[in-house]
Amino acid sequence: MQEDRFPGHKFLPYLLIAPSIAVIIVFLIGPFVQSIRESLFVSTPFGTKTIYVGLRNYVRLFSSPDYRSSVIATFKFSAFVIIGGLSISLAIAQLLNQKIKGVGFYQVALIWTYAISPTVAGVIWASMFAPATGLIPYIVSKLSGGYTLNWMTNGNIALFVVATAATWKMLGYNIIFFLAGLQNVPDEFLEAAQMDGAGSWKAFWRITFPMLSPTTSFLLFVNMLYAFFQVFGLIDIMTRGGPGNATELLVYKLYRDGFIHLNTGFASAQSLVIFLVISVVAIIQLRIVTQKAIYSR
Amino acid sequence: MKLRKNFLIILILTLCLLLSVGTALAKPVTITFWHAMSGSRLGVLESIIESFNAAHPDLEVKPLFTGSYAETLTKYVTAYPTGTAPNIVQVYEVGTQTMIDSDAIIPVYKIPEMLGETWDWAQYVIPITHYYSVDGNLWSMPFNSSTAMLYYNKDIFKAAGLDPNKPPTTWKEMEEYGEKILASGVVDHVYSGGWPDWIFEQTLAYNDHLYADNDNGRTGLAKKVVFNDDFGYMVFDTWVRLHKKGIYIYGGVEYEANSAFNAGQIAMLIQSTSSLAGIIKASKFKVGTSFLPRFEGYPVGNSVIGGGSLWITKGQSDEELRGVWEFLKYLSREDIAIKWHKGTGYFPASSGALKTLLDEGWFSADQTYLTAFLQILAGRRDTAASTGVRLGPFVAMRDLFRAALEKAIAGELSPKDALDEAAEKMNALLKDYAELYGK
Repeated sequence: MQEDRFPGHKFLPYLLIAPSIAVIIVFLIGPFVQSIRESLFVSTPFGTKTIYVGLRNYVRLFSSPDYRSSVIATFKFSAFVIIGGLSISLAIAQLLNQKIKGVGFYQVALIWTYAISPTVAGVIWASMFAPATGLIPYIVSKLSGGYTLNWMTNGNIALFVVATAATWKMLGYNIIFFLAGLQNVPDEFLEAAQMDGAGSWKAFWRITFPMLSPTTSFLLFVNMLYAFFQVFGLIDIMTRGGPGNATELLVYKLYRDGFIHLNTGFASAQSLVIFLVISVVAIIQLRIVTQKAIYSR
Repeated sequence: MKLRKNFLIILILTLCLLLSVGTALAKPVTITFWHAMSGSRLGVLESIIESFNAAHPDLEVKPLFTGSYAETLTKYVTAYPTGTAPNIVQVYEVGTQTMIDSDAIIPVYKIPEMLGETWDWAQYVIPITHYYSVDGNLWSMPFNSSTAMLYYNKDIFKAAGLDPNKPPTTWKEMEEYGEKILASGVVDHVYSGGWPDWIFEQTLAYNDHLYADNDNGRTGLAKKVVFNDDFGYMVFDTWVRLHKKGIYIYGGVEYEANSAFNAGQIAMLIQSTSSLAGIIKASKFKVGTSFLPRFEGYPVGNSVIGGGSLWITKGQSDEELRGVWEFLKYLSREDIAIKWHKGTGYFPASSGALKTLLDEGWFSADQTYLTAFLQILAGRRDTAASTGVRLGPFVAMRDLFRAALEKAIAGELSPKDALDEAAEKMNALLKDYAELYGK
């Protein structure tokens, strides 16, 4: 039996959490229920006419080749951003954790990308790769003797550039957390390992990496949400889903269909599908990764 | 410290007093106006509104920049049912059918009648009124109208051994000139453009070719697109072929290609006329402008109006509606229309303004500003094909076209397959739209 923490005030706890519950109902549950409802209808943009269509929006969604390619692009993109981004960040964080001269400067220089707004980051990368005026196509053309690197007409390059930009944008955030995690690894452990004759490579994988697992699992989760939802700004600035839908990730497709093409029913169906996918992935992740994570104290 | 606190209190009290006196003295009718004008256009628009407000102490137009055209329309769509829609909203030409079907607006032709006035609608440049008319009546106020034209770099033409006063007039010449310019090695690519979907619509209309059935959606809702025929394939093929040859370089969705043109990295640009003022300002070479290239041997049509127009929300008080109408009349005033044109490159919508510009020598000082007028006034305007297409799910359809072009250029699909695929998807959208509107 739990002890009574609010003796004599039976309803006080409920009163205290009421504001949070209200916010959740108004801003999360309400819209959620509304999207479920709307996903069963088609309606005119101004809502002058609404027709019940049952599951037609879902049927169309799953039979649409565009949606399938959007799913594939999203998974490719996320894999790149999560795996590539986390590996690079960890490597950089490890380098930054050395006792070298001017480490403060390097830390700031590598972390500040996180402070750049998606718009600015998008513009920077888009102008670097601009087919006719950009620096990188220019270098490629000079080095290769005339090859035109045009990411506006090559879907694979476009996806790669957008994913690289997204990874770069998130590096700062990942590095901060990895750095904090690394600094929490007690020196004694590493010293003991050294005494036992382990090289720095072995010490990293046997001691540092396992001890980082709470940080890693947290970052995995955050990066997944980032790759699924928060890259919207970058895509909108850089490619708008093009060329030929190559960078039309799920969340961007939802935005185009719902807010630009004004097709709310279809977009609601998409939002529910994304919700389900994310929930499943999140549950798996929390089950597996968190159980294996080693909490040092 | 205490002194500072007292001072603050006094300051706040004085401000409150001033504000209350201000509102007590004059209670102007507020007209809200949502628009999508950014960059240099915003400054011109704001100064016009300021001068209007100064001249009308009883009225206050409050402009609000609501993002891109698409975002502005989305905001309007969500605001209307909650009663927070503005009095006036600027909508791009692709949103025209959506607004006509919205049941949220008063067609502008009805407004003078409602206020007991008469108004001569024929004073506007005819191709513009045609574009925004339903059964001969104007539904939205012409405001920022543009069309597409050819921009070219005279210096590059000269350097490549071409006559700088002879820009290409046909697509065949585009190709020939392109090969010559490439061979001269002055630039790596010859031309690019913005709004590829719109340029395709322009190309069809300019050769008097229909885009969709039911007279381009002007005599009834369009049920299917008709551009995937021999002519459409030829246009599409030509573009893809020129891209393969390196003459054309795909330039993105909107204005991304302008910087390449301004920097002298391409010799020609097919772009909206509204870019003219910006291009002249940003480029260091001699800019030439000319008509869009045609396909030889096909009928003559006209270039199509683009840009935006102003729509008036229904259900306003008489007072507000009168204010809105005053503002619309003010925008059509000759001097204001001229200011708008000179500041942006958009057409001045009235023929009176056109005459004044001509008389004061504006066009002879800079002939590039005349090109767009001559182009739309020289073209035919008695066919649906040359008036331009009107479609319900137009925005989504343009996205589909753009994707098709990108796929064909990337070599993912053959030009014909890409165009057919887009047409098929567009027809599905049109069918849905027709189902929804029960027509």
